[in-house]
Amino acid sequence: MRSYFVGALSRAIGLSLAIAASASGTVWAAQGESAVAERIYASAPPRLLQIRTLVADAGRQTSNGSGFLVSADGLAITNYHVVSQAALEPATYRLEYTAADGSQGDVTLLRVDLPNDLALVRVDKKDAPFFRFDRAAIEGRLAKGERLYSMGNPLDLGFTIIEGTYNGLADHSYTERIHFSGALNPGMSGGPAVTADGDVIGINVATRRGGQLVSFLVPARFAAALLQAGGDEKPADIKGDVGRQLVAWRSELYKSLSAAGFRSDALGPYRAPATQVLWFNCWASTNAGATPKPRASVNSTECGSDTSVFVASDLNIGAININHSFARTIDLNQFQFATYLTQLSQPRLSVGGPFKKWYTPQRCHEDFLQVPPQPQHPPLRVVWCAQAYRQFEGLYDVSLIVVTQDQALEALVSRLNMQAVGYDDAVALGKRFLEAVQVGK
Amino acid sequence: MIWIEILSRQREVAARFRITAAEVRIGRGYDNDVVVDDPYVAAQHLRVFRHDDGHLVAEDVGSANGTFIDGNRTRLSGFIVDGKQPIRIGQTYLRIRDVNHAVERERLASPERHVLPIVLAVVLGLSLPAIDALKIWLTQTGEPRASTYLSPLLMLITSLLVWVGIWALLCRIFAGRSHFLRNLLIALIGTAVFTLYHELVQYLAFAWTSSSGVNYEYAVIWLIFAAICFFHLREIGRTRLWLKGAAMTAVVVVGIALQALQQSEAFSDSGRQRTVHWLMPPMLRAVPLKDQSTFFGAIGDLKGRLDGDRS
Repeated sequence: MRSYFVGALSRAIGLSLAIAASASGTVWAAQGESAVAERIYASAPPRLLQIRTLVADAGRQTSNGSGFLVSADGLAITNYHVVSQAALEPATYRLEYTAADGSQGDVTLLRVDLPNDLALVRVDKKDAPFFRFDRAAIEGRLAKGERLYSMGNPLDLGFTIIEGTYNGLADHSYTERIHFSGALNPGMSGGPAVTADGDVIGINVATRRGGQLVSFLVPARFAAALLQAGGDEKPADIKGDVGRQLVAWRSELYKSLSAAGFRSDALGPYRAPATQVLWFNCWASTNAGATPKPRASVNSTECGSDTSVFVASDLNIGAININHSFARTIDLNQFQFATYLTQLSQPRLSVGGPFKKWYTPQRCHEDFLQVPPQPQHPPLRVVWCAQAYRQFEGLYDVSLIVVTQDQALEALVSRLNMQAVGYDDAVALGKRFLEAVQVGK
Repeated sequence: MIWIEILSRQREVAARFRITAAEVRIGRGYDNDVVVDDPYVAAQHLRVFRHDDGHLVAEDVGSANGTFIDGNRTRLSGFIVDGKQPIRIGQTYLRIRDVNHAVERERLASPERHVLPIVLAVVLGLSLPAIDALKIWLTQTGEPRASTYLSPLLMLITSLLVWVGIWALLCRIFAGRSHFLRNLLIALIGTAVFTLYHELVQYLAFAWTSSSGVNYEYAVIWLIFAAICFFHLREIGRTRLWLKGAAMTAVVVVGIALQALQQSEAFSDSGRQRTVHWLMPPMLRAVPLKDQSTFFGAIGDLKGRLDGDRS
């Protein structure tokens, strides 16, 4: 169900995915299309790059990805996650490129666009040919089914061109992503996906594990915007910039969630908060068919947003989850049912990376609460747990759990999990969430 | 008549000599009335005789190591014997008593058995497993199985019996009597106190939303444990109670300190607060419902603590 970044090819995952790569050949391509691919690839070499992250002292690569030139004076686009180690720890890591024509040199990181997983770098390459952005793609006038050619260096096996199909923007996604039906593999991240004319319409970014050929591209317009965003002088503090972009982006995301508000959806005799925004994926589940026969029936809905973003190789954060379970006793008594609810409503903060490195310890507050007016809003038992991000001022993970207290033998257990949220945004959303927990049709 | 008692290092009587003569000679030589096999005692060490006023007087007859009152460093050459303080010659302790030395009154034996402790032991012995079984039943949300009741109950009973058995054995060794019933009562009362406390704090955590009782439960467990041990030690012997009390206080202090340290380290490692999220039927709620502003006020205060953790 999750997307995985294909760029930062590391030793650990490289091998297992290499098997998958060799199994999926490219024999299905029609003869005529292959001729187009040949022509495109033939013109690619001097402007197509492999970008490697090296441990500065050891001089060996720890990960690699792809990139491509976008100007005659050596500006190139790649993914943020390809260069994240150098961005966050410039003292430990440095960047290097190898072009498809064999030339090599140093890479300087200029700017990053964290939400769109893009980075602008400068390579010491002058007067080289470069890729142009496709005008139709930037204006959003591309037709589904258009054949695309994606390039990169998968699994460090050498520069490769892959054919696939443009399938518009992916649904239920907060960040715009082009759905590309083609086989992206680790190491291809940051490489360009071009039309038959050779113009860039997107940048390879992720693939979905568990799917077949379901891959994602960052739309070219974000790269074009990053390129035009200003001078190419080297910014002093890319790490600080990463933090600022993260906070700003999350704040905007939660504001749009808050602006859309919650509507109250019926769940049993209760009404449970459901978000109105379109970038949530919702599923329902029930334990009706479980074996052994359950002693309380539970019907659940689970809505999640895939708004997590790659911050560092060990930190993927930003998912939002809204979860409701309506539980009703079958043959449990009041105390047993309360124990059952205890298990259903345990506070759990999911972490997006190693706890001690990124998070402060979790703090919780628990109390009984009544939201007015009374008959419409049941009495609640509410748990609020939060942890802060050590390195990003103003960002927190918050988990809000609500258990209705109006009935002894049935209850609604609602959960709102917000990763990487500003505290005030979390409080405002939490208030609206609590107000949307209601009883009665 | 004079009695000479040779004492052990624990000042208990090891040998007792009845002398009918008016004067007693004590020393290592075989020309004495009482022969002491102690290389630090002179061949002729001590002479005991009756003074004109009727008191017994001990006189050192020229030993090199001297004669002392127990616990005193002053060397004595001649002194009146009171029969209470042991006398030390060399490394040997002696007590010299006159025939009319006053003894304590006869101690009255207690009636054979009280009924109350037996009733209490039976009641507690039955109610503790019953409370346990009730707890298991009330928290059972899966399929009911006999083993979920039997194994904890068996555990409880076995550990209680083993614990009481060990203390009864210690009592038997050091005090001569096992006091099984008393030891059993101590263990039962301790367990009952703990069970009641545990249930009470769980109730408080839900109904009064006050989790401090659960958070500091480990301290109370150590206190109860130390109290149980102290009372068991008291059964072994009622002497030096201050020492036993001090030892148990040390156990409490060290136990609580160590566990508090462990918990704070575990908190900073795992980041998980020992949460006490525990629900009970809504009718047990004892505090009024908070309004939104109070609740979110407390939530706002949490932010300061989180930001404090960050630095």
